Amino acid sequence: MALSRAEPTLPTPAALTLGEMTPREVVTPAGVDELAAMVRERNENGEAIVVVGGGTLQGLGHAPQRYDVALRTANLNRVLEYEYRDLTIAVEAGLTVADLDAALAERGQFVPLDAPQAARSTVGGVLASGWLGPRRALYGRPRDLVIGMTVVLADGTIAKSGGMVVKNSTGYDLSRLYCGSLGTLAVIVRANFKTLPLPAARRVALATLPEQTRLRVLEHLAALEIDPAVAVAIQGFRDDIDGRDGADGRLFFLFEGSRSLVERATRDVRSVLGAAGVPATTLIDAGASQSFARLVDAYTLRVGDRSVTYRSSGLPSDLFVRGETFAHLARSHALDLERIEDMRTGDVIARLSAPVSGQLEERIVAFDAALHAATPRAQVLAAPEPLRGKLAMWGSPPRSLDVMRALKARFDPNGTLAPGRFVGGI
Amino acid sequence: MGRVSTKRFQERLVDALGADAVRTDPEDLAVYSFDAFSEETLPAAAVLPKDARDVSAIVRIANELEEPIVPRGAGTGLCGGATPTRGGVVVSFARMNRILGLDVPNRRARVQPGVINLELSKHAQPHGLFFGPDPSSQKISTLGGNVGTNAGGPHALSYGSMTNHVLGLEFVSQDGEVHQISQDDFGYDLTSALVGSEGTLGIITAIDLRLLRVPAAVRVCLAAFGDVETASEAVSAIVGAGIVPTALEIMDRTITQAVEAHYHAGFPLDAGAVLLVEIAGEIDDIDASERAIEKIAREHGALSWRSASEAAEREALWASRKGAAGAIGRIAPNYYIQDATVPRTRLPQALHRVDEIARDHALQVGNVFHAGDGNLHPLLMFDRRIPSQVEAVIAAGTEILEACIALGGTISGEHGIGYEKRDALRYVFSTDDLATMARVRDVLDPKRIFNPDKIFPSGAACGEVRAQPQVAVGAGAWL
Repeated sequence: MALSRAEPTLPTPAALTLGEMTPREVVTPAGVDELAAMVRERNENGEAIVVVGGGTLQGLGHAPQRYDVALRTANLNRVLEYEYRDLTIAVEAGLTVADLDAALAERGQFVPLDAPQAARSTVGGVLASGWLGPRRALYGRPRDLVIGMTVVLADGTIAKSGGMVVKNSTGYDLSRLYCGSLGTLAVIVRANFKTLPLPAARRVALATLPEQTRLRVLEHLAALEIDPAVAVAIQGFRDDIDGRDGADGRLFFLFEGSRSLVERATRDVRSVLGAAGVPATTLIDAGASQSFARLVDAYTLRVGDRSVTYRSSGLPSDLFVRGETFAHLARSHALDLERIEDMRTGDVIARLSAPVSGQLEERIVAFDAALHAATPRAQVLAAPEPLRGKLAMWGSPPRSLDVMRALKARFDPNGTLAPGRFVGGI
Repeated sequence: MGRVSTKRFQERLVDALGADAVRTDPEDLAVYSFDAFSEETLPAAAVLPKDARDVSAIVRIANELEEPIVPRGAGTGLCGGATPTRGGVVVSFARMNRILGLDVPNRRARVQPGVINLELSKHAQPHGLFFGPDPSSQKISTLGGNVGTNAGGPHALSYGSMTNHVLGLEFVSQDGEVHQISQDDFGYDLTSALVGSEGTLGIITAIDLRLLRVPAAVRVCLAAFGDVETASEAVSAIVGAGIVPTALEIMDRTITQAVEAHYHAGFPLDAGAVLLVEIAGEIDDIDASERAIEKIAREHGALSWRSASEAAEREALWASRKGAAGAIGRIAPNYYIQDATVPRTRLPQALHRVDEIARDHALQVGNVFHAGDGNLHPLLMFDRRIPSQVEAVIAAGTEILEACIALGGTISGEHGIGYEKRDALRYVFSTDDLATMARVRDVLDPKRIFNPDKIFPSGAACGEVRAQPQVAVGAGAWL
């Protein structure tokens, strides 16, 4: 067996603590075969493994019930095949999203994963966590861009599904089952994507959204003739996204496409906003990608140890009702609310913070219970580690939980892979 | 199963659903014994449920008696996915054909599985919306069947296949329970797992679908080439240049001549191949896109270029393309359609191999395919009354699949595996890969009563004689 490559900054077990659980050991296999052998052996020994990519989305899910080994994918970081003329790419799971982006950009292509902290987050982590970004209304979810996948099961079996073609009806598409399973069914080791040509133009448009005209403006936006790639209303996140005024809300649009499309979309938005009484729109062309990256980064950014961030998902048509639920509950629990309301996907990203960290726990625990009573689908995206065990990280248990439990039992009968991390304690 | 238990099974179904919803006469059952691929065995019964409760009752009875359940849409499948292989009950969704809801603000629809694909787009059209996947069978195939096979169509190039459009499902599991699942739920993505599972994991009783906004402008362009390989090179060059139109379709001379005789859409009859390019979007973008694509096409051997902006002209071109297989009935008594995908830059090689294989077996071949996706559909023409030709077609079909796999491709792009290709699945996946897929089936279909003998290789019983293609000519086949 090959020795793992040495790394300058190997994280300590303590740095990989989840809730109150700290792994005994941190391992970084050199390749897929070594990883598979390791997983098989640990599985036979009854040990529990949590896979760690860049650690950027480990805020999701419960703490594991058992946690012997943190398995890092950092050495599985290669681009395996890049058939740019076919618009397909195959990469190892530990490749960072930034490295993927860079490889694709050389050929004028991209895969819109919308991952926060792209420099650290890994392809495998984004897929396993079921990450959903704001551009998915236009381009699809990360799992919609996956055309093939290789995984290692708990018993060490290496199994693939899909392939390197963009259209495929051959056998069960298990990649979609692994996406969003938070490492509880299998360890993702390779993902094949279809790529997209980079848009010729990308532009961010910002406008203020005064509280008193808020709902009127938002209603007007339903009349846009061209769908922006991103259309969100932001309150708070003052320094995180654009450094602009935090008292009033703002609107953030991203347009992507041909130059003429972007120009038309800009005129479209300006005319709709003008009619709604919002005069000024600031345009960002040169820094549009960075501006969008800051928006996405904000989804998981915490305010010291005194904030918790939720994602509430649902239909775009009840977006603002859910947004108001957060506002109302934040007031009644004396928490500050910052929110990103995504008009295209229906997501509400809500960051709740207490003035000082000592006040957070009591308030947020009560808030959490009230929230889940009011809205069925809300997930914690980021919270201080000690709170993990005190919040309903996945909200209410999903329907058909019994089927999910049975799948877990069939794929991982020993409960080796991230036991307890997933919905309903799977 | 003996006659006594068959009778008992039929009686139980009649008790549960009423005589009106159960067919048991052999004459009535004959129509449920085949699809556009082949004829298998007669089922013990065919049932016409009206809702999920009926389906639940059917599944409970079949589960108790361990009888196979075969869901059936319109029977247009080309791989034997809807044919019963060992009796049991065929569940027809002919009476579950309602659009349950159209949610315009959220751009989604909820439908019963028996709704015809094209009906949904027609229904959504007045609201400026349409449904993306458009298999050539879309005038008659059902959305339930489309979900089962993960159907695609010409526009899969830009809009993706069914799996990119199914937002949620209602399905009946083996214990008869009715499940509501949605992509929006946290937890394992059961919705996506059921798409493309060809009825082997549960019986779908309602589907939530994503709708798309009708583009501001659409144009279809037609380029003529000397041969299919050259046309394919042009397709690679277009996509490789970062231009992804809404559709890129190629027809060879054989197909073009057949459809022109039938539809008179104005295809050039002297061209070795024609390329159909559909561009959609904002009007000023379309002009620029067309110019860019035409330039690349001409640089790569296009002999002529014609564009159709008028709706009637576009529709005539699309009608010809989607009716291509049917038009072959003019030149051959029978044909067999293969479905395979290769990385798009390998298309010229794949087409070259298809041509060689057909010549080796002395078969005439026509090619009409989704070039932009690398999705081939060679049509092998034959006369089924001549046994040696039938054997040649089967051998050639297998060799084509092997050739596509050797080029990095796979054995189905959109038709599914069904009964026909289940043993060929071993060419693509290892035993470990297949065993992993089977784990999902172990959970949802432990008794193997949901559409048995489909998708998964025949295993121990692989000595079974492979079904002979008996494809109907004309309206019965699509690609």
